Amino acid sequence: MLHKIKYELERMPKFVYVLALLTAFGLGVGVYRLYAGLAVTTNLSKAYPWGLWISFDLAMVSLSAGAYTLAALVYVFQFEDLHAASRPTVLAGFLGYSSVLVILFFDLGRWDHFYSVFIHPNFSSALLEVSWCIAAYSLILIYEFSPVLVENNKLKWLLPTIKKYTVPIVIAGVTLSTMHQSSLGTLYVIMSPRLHALWHTMLLPVFFLISSYASGISLVIVGSTVSYWLLGRSIKEKTIAKLAWFVPWILAFYFVLKFGELMITGELDLLFTSGLYSLLFWAEFVIGGIIPIALLSMKKIRHDRVGVMIGAFFALAGVVLNRFDVTWFAIKPVLGQTYTPHWMEVALVVGVASGVLLVYSLVAHFFPVYEETSAVGTPKTEAAKFMESPVLEH
Amino acid sequence: MSEHGSTPRYGFLIDASLCIDCRTCMVSCSVENKVPMDNTRIWIEETGVTGTFPNLERYTVPYHCMHCKDPSCVSACTVAALTRNEEGVVVYDPDVCIGCRYCMYACPFEVPNYEYDERFPEVIKCDMCYDRLQEGQQPACAQTCPTGAIKFGNYEDMLALAHKMIKDNPGKYIDHVYGEHENGGTATLYISPVPFEELGFPPAASISPAVSNRLVTEGTPTVAGAAAVGLTGIYLTIKHAKEEAEEERQAEAAEKAEAAMEEK
Repeated sequence: MLHKIKYELERMPKFVYVLALLTAFGLGVGVYRLYAGLAVTTNLSKAYPWGLWISFDLAMVSLSAGAYTLAALVYVFQFEDLHAASRPTVLAGFLGYSSVLVILFFDLGRWDHFYSVFIHPNFSSALLEVSWCIAAYSLILIYEFSPVLVENNKLKWLLPTIKKYTVPIVIAGVTLSTMHQSSLGTLYVIMSPRLHALWHTMLLPVFFLISSYASGISLVIVGSTVSYWLLGRSIKEKTIAKLAWFVPWILAFYFVLKFGELMITGELDLLFTSGLYSLLFWAEFVIGGIIPIALLSMKKIRHDRVGVMIGAFFALAGVVLNRFDVTWFAIKPVLGQTYTPHWMEVALVVGVASGVLLVYSLVAHFFPVYEETSAVGTPKTEAAKFMESPVLEH
Repeated sequence: MSEHGSTPRYGFLIDASLCIDCRTCMVSCSVENKVPMDNTRIWIEETGVTGTFPNLERYTVPYHCMHCKDPSCVSACTVAALTRNEEGVVVYDPDVCIGCRYCMYACPFEVPNYEYDERFPEVIKCDMCYDRLQEGQQPACAQTCPTGAIKFGNYEDMLALAHKMIKDNPGKYIDHVYGEHENGGTATLYISPVPFEELGFPPAASISPAVSNRLVTEGTPTVAGAAAVGLTGIYLTIKHAKEEAEEERQAEAAEKAEAAMEEK
């Protein structure tokens, strides 16, 4: 057994060690934060009780929307040619959510009371809704991923049972995702005095939900393009083009609704009079609106692996910028205080993100994550060799 | 817990014209609640020096939790560590608190603070010295204020007194009782010779953000239920359509095979 572990460790490529180092350092900083308190390890203050960690959480949840968007498309809407992308996406989604839970734990001032969330709930709190939904949804993602874990070993007999209940479980998962994707927007509804009016609206939950569809689909596109480059495995070009077709429509709907909301509330003038805030809003509109809509509405680009990936990447960047705006950049300063993260806050985020990549690579190495994807081209990268597993010919 | 917006039993009336910035209230708060002076639940807001020389003026006023009739912090608190009790006092239970600090962002008055330098921190927020109230005593700050700037009593008496003082001293106070309508009404009331914005008070709306928060959070389960039903419906419809298409295809294939057999 020891020999086997030693052999495996020696076989690991270098990037695995780099990721492991970053993860260990980040988690070390996290443990130090638990010991030393928030004052010496963060720049959080009375004026800015939430910082980089919350921004990371919200951005990560919007990126992890890939898992529920795809599950809905594959199992509920039954687009079967998308099925090949579901294993990598569900794994990425699960690790994304896990990273959110880990960061949240370190963010809690009283992490030793975390169980209060389950035994002492306040049902009018949007944060309660978010925590319950994320906790439950993480379990559902494990269920959705479980066939990969049991397929090639002694637990194989579980497969038919797992398959039998997949559809109701997926429907529960999509429902929970709908709830927490929107509830993350609800979090900021109560913050009307602090959040800039260009972002604050009663419709925040609706905006968060719609943009999560765009980021979810875009993540599947970017993910399968990256796996095409690194591993030579992907879903078919035609399928990606089909997915990409949705994105401009969703984004256009989002921005029509956003500008409509500003018009109805009489806040259109803020688009030009709020200085840096106006600039941030326009950046969001150009990066996450105009560019991806323009690119992905062209058929030629939708069918081009690089083009479609660039378009989807801009859509993702736009949604991430939006989450950072709502959670950080568009929070109005009080008493002239501003917030920039402490290096330890950054170290924990980098560490946890590296941990996500590390665990993803390891799971893909030991389990048949990419089995259902088609082989396209010949991979020569280190990562490709590492994640080798049998390929099904389509 | 008490109903949203119900009239509180107790109230503060704080008079900015009487405050001399002696900070006795802060010292007594520190002693009563056994917290360091940096973490007191009451502090001083001020206008800074205003006017033109030699007619310079500077106003100060003690500031602490407003004890809203419909508090945003209570609505936001993940674990109901913050609650509004029967007497309208917004109280805090540190044994339940998870330290998410959502209350700090939710409060429109920027009141809650946090013991950032502690390993196991608590939220810093006035509870009207609730233990003292139960013993029939006044809150420490009101008890010790040497000028009577902080008055404490029945809410209705305090509100009536605020209006009486404005009426009886024409020109001394601006005609505004801060807290009567702010954020849907609060148990802490202020009167002042200068506009409250100059003292650094936030211009709170007359409806608590808790109202819009509840509107959304309490609507979510309904929306979720509808989503689950809708998704199930879509799944069954598409499945049925696909099965029918499959059956048709098979029937066609069988017909063709039959036709081919007959030709032979």
